[in-house]
Amino acid sequence: MRKQESLVAYFDWPLFIVYMLLLLMGIATVYSTAYNADYPNLFDFSQKYGKQIMWLGISLFLGLIVFLIDSDIYRKFCVPIYLFTLVLLVIVLFMPAVNGARAWLGIGSMGIQPAEFAKIGTALLLARFISSINVKQQTIQTVLYANAIILIPMVLILLQPDAGTFVVFTSFLFVMYREGITYDPLILKIVNAFPGVLFKKTWVGSHFIPILFVVVFLSIITLFMSNETITFESFPGIEIPGFWGVVFTLGFFGILGMIFLRFVSTKRERNNASLVIVIGFVLSTILASIVNFGFQGLASHQKVRIELFLGLKEDPNGEDYNRNRAMAAVGSGGFLGKGYNNASVSSVESNHVPESETDFIFCPFAEEWGFLGTILLIGMYLFLLLRIVFIAERQRSTFNRVYAYAVAMILFYHFAINLGMNIGFAPVIGIPLPFFSYGGSSMMSFSVMMFVLLKLDSQRRDVLQ
Amino acid sequence: MNTDNRKYVLIAFIIIVGIIYSVRLFYMQVVDETWTLRAQEIAEKRKEITPPRGVLFDRKGKKMVSNRTYYNLMFVEAKMKHFDTLAFANLIGWSKEHVRYRFYEIKKGEGKYHNKNTGKTTSNYQKIRPYAFLKELTLDEIAVIAPHLENFPGFYEEVTSMRSYPYANGANIVGYLSEVNGEEIDEDHFYKPGNNIGRAGLERFYEAELRGQKGIRYIVTSALNNAIESYANGKYDTVAKQGPYLKLGIDINLQAYGERLLKNKRGCIVAIEPSTGEILALVSAPSYDPNLFIGKRNISANYGRLLNDPSKPLYPRPLAAEYPPGSTFKLLNSLIGLQEGVITPQSGFPCNKSMVGCHNHASAGNLPDAIKHSCNPYYYAVTKRIIQQNKKKSVFEDAELGLNKWARYMRSFGLGSKLETDITGLSGGSIPDALYYDKWYGNHRWAFSTIRSISIGQGEVMLTPLQMANVAATIANRGWYIIPHFVKSIGGKGPKAIYKKKHYTLIDRSHFSVIIEGMRRVVHEPGGTGKRAKLKDIIVCGKTGTVQNPHGEDHSTFVAFAPMYKPKIAIAVFIENAKGGGGLWAAPTAGLMIEKYLTKKIMEKDREKTILEANFSYR
Repeated sequence: MRKQESLVAYFDWPLFIVYMLLLLMGIATVYSTAYNADYPNLFDFSQKYGKQIMWLGISLFLGLIVFLIDSDIYRKFCVPIYLFTLVLLVIVLFMPAVNGARAWLGIGSMGIQPAEFAKIGTALLLARFISSINVKQQTIQTVLYANAIILIPMVLILLQPDAGTFVVFTSFLFVMYREGITYDPLILKIVNAFPGVLFKKTWVGSHFIPILFVVVFLSIITLFMSNETITFESFPGIEIPGFWGVVFTLGFFGILGMIFLRFVSTKRERNNASLVIVIGFVLSTILASIVNFGFQGLASHQKVRIELFLGLKEDPNGEDYNRNRAMAAVGSGGFLGKGYNNASVSSVESNHVPESETDFIFCPFAEEWGFLGTILLIGMYLFLLLRIVFIAERQRSTFNRVYAYAVAMILFYHFAINLGMNIGFAPVIGIPLPFFSYGGSSMMSFSVMMFVLLKLDSQRRDVLQ
Repeated sequence: MNTDNRKYVLIAFIIIVGIIYSVRLFYMQVVDETWTLRAQEIAEKRKEITPPRGVLFDRKGKKMVSNRTYYNLMFVEAKMKHFDTLAFANLIGWSKEHVRYRFYEIKKGEGKYHNKNTGKTTSNYQKIRPYAFLKELTLDEIAVIAPHLENFPGFYEEVTSMRSYPYANGANIVGYLSEVNGEEIDEDHFYKPGNNIGRAGLERFYEAELRGQKGIRYIVTSALNNAIESYANGKYDTVAKQGPYLKLGIDINLQAYGERLLKNKRGCIVAIEPSTGEILALVSAPSYDPNLFIGKRNISANYGRLLNDPSKPLYPRPLAAEYPPGSTFKLLNSLIGLQEGVITPQSGFPCNKSMVGCHNHASAGNLPDAIKHSCNPYYYAVTKRIIQQNKKKSVFEDAELGLNKWARYMRSFGLGSKLETDITGLSGGSIPDALYYDKWYGNHRWAFSTIRSISIGQGEVMLTPLQMANVAATIANRGWYIIPHFVKSIGGKGPKAIYKKKHYTLIDRSHFSVIIEGMRRVVHEPGGTGKRAKLKDIIVCGKTGTVQNPHGEDHSTFVAFAPMYKPKIAIAVFIENAKGGGGLWAAPTAGLMIEKYLTKKIMEKDREKTILEANFSYR
């Protein structure tokens, strides 16, 4: 057993500091956005900024409790924790609907969203399950078990309905991918059913998830870009159709990858990887072309329908105009921003961007701090995410690693989708920006998630499993 | 199977998304201007501030037209809560149905918008926008409503500025304002729906000056269209500038007096300061109280009634009505005769009533006496000499030559075409020339005998009262005039350049004194036709006219100026269908106006009483 003084001996301060900085920046942004001149005090608990500070206190308190609990507890009690979150997800379905979704448990603003906590339960159980099997001999059964762990809460969340969190749950597929649990056994079963065919593994089956991610991500970006024309203020003559911008970007990353390989890999690996990059570029370009020209070729009413769904067209009477407003707010920030407290489009008072303190909190931040601020924020999130991946990779136990990856990928999804909808790269599905957005439920659940990770990491030397 | 390398896939995803987003943000925030413009469109509203219009003063600095604060009762539907229709109806004194109908009317009035992309038709009416429920309430009216507005959230009062007329006079001069129409908005981007524009008179003529400069405030607005703060601390704002004040030549007291004198009569008085061409008074009777035309409510209540009034109060008679000048025209024929050398001041013609009628008087042995007696046969003879100078063999060709010469003289007095007076609604009158009669009778089918009525200012000769007064002013000036105008100074900078220029007639200065002597005799000598214009200490020079009118009683007219030397006022009075000649009604009216203007008081009380009591307003 550990001694008491080792409680923070292996504490990961960099992660904790970035986490705290994001929280504080979030509060500063909420203070600026939701500022109410009648209640100028930052600590006024009747206001959103006051409440957010209160939530910060509660989150840190919960974090401390989580941190004081021995990490063995999480391993041992992951099944009850998972089941408990499932029960909450069922109970919430019988609650009155708020804004069309039965997502809230509790009274008024003091409620919690069980879906947020279900992520933790699912992450823990998935970690437990993967650490308990031998992935090298994965069968259809293990793949189905792992998928069931994710699917049950997903179905319950879809019933609320909460499309955003539903999508976020697919982040667990990446964790499974990292651990080698892929859809290959299923695909082999189908492929090998043909007489005379006997594959031991298929490349597509193994890498199904990242390929799917690339396909979806690329398709969406191509769709969004297909209506845009890239212009440059300093070179007024140059106009690049959005589609070619996508292809150029793909080529740019291909070349970047080639250069990167030259430094990190052996010659044989390099040849293989280069081939993958070339094939990847060609396939991606083909995909982008199909999406782009397929979309352009659609009948206009179908096009309009898709555009409206994605929020590409502003329908003044529809709900999809948020994206357009959000982009106006972000884009008007300029290089240096309009200055703290000077957001003209996205302040709560002006109400041009609905939910500007929660799902669209990036808007006021980007408007006030400009490109300098947004690049800093992206840098901080990248640091946070890569730090967690780094932490995951240094774990001795599979359980810890799987859990850490789950945290990393959940946060990555939130980051990618939330920012994506602010900059026109993702449809508007309401999910918060972790640690930044206003809201007690998300702040508490993300904090608990972080502190469980910090706790597991600080005790990484105690466990061997 | 070692899956450790797969961590690079995940790391690559994270990094690539980070880079793509950074590039995208760089493009959106730094390179591309689209979103900045869009943000301005969304949040930064350009708010136009309409300044109060320029104010009008009379020649003594009395405010003739000023501005007054009015109130609109505005509402924003999105902010209305628990609206109690009945209580509101009671508050403003309407019926419940009327209130409901007003809401419906406002919504309908905003029109519809068809979105081509979505195929949806939506109403332009927006719940978050303010609309005026009641417009142009006076302070008294809003004072009843305002204290109770707190019971009706979403309703509030808004201040607007409208005209007010401290004197109820000069309506036909100043004109009025009303809301711009769609065409005017398209033509001039200055105007926005709901703005006012000058509709008649000086308000219309000096619209460009009076409207001033709109101010522009850039404000940051919320989605509910509320102003939140000024944009960039007002760096780009411009201040609304009120239009310059106009100082008129009008003497409002004289104007008011003239309107009083013409009460119960139809007719005109035009008074001009000869040395400057400034119009001192321009009375059109009957007229109306300009306060009846303040704001939409008043206009809709009164316009139709006044428009259909058979006595035509909206018609600016002194500017637009064309009358035969009658005997006052003899002054001009005298001058032309002298200039052409066909008569001399000593010329005498017998009062031979065979060709044209006359009243009983001794035959005029010289020109001033002919004017004094207004002898018709004398002028028949004079004008015949002007027209038929025997320069051509054919009497017809001779008449053509003479008439055109005559017409050229007449035009040099500003007759036969519109004067460039600074007001709308002018007519030009008519001075016939050869071409004119050719149309009627055919080329060379007419001679003086055909057109003889022009010698006594009847027939085809038509003048507006403004032109008659200008003739008087020209004679007072001994041969020149400045175009009669209302505005003597725009914002303290003097009149327009065209109102400084002297227009010389084709008559030599030397010929005027004999005419003026005749005009003096008209008023001041026994047997003069205009003795009722006589004043005690002031020499009035005038000429009467009795205009035959096939439709009814004769019109009574009189032109005059005074004093004889260094004239201060030239005047034309025209009274329609007065029972009696120019000497009976128009001359005393002119006399009273001159007395009022020059002495500020009226000694001739009996004369005033007679005129005030005269009533010719029968149909």
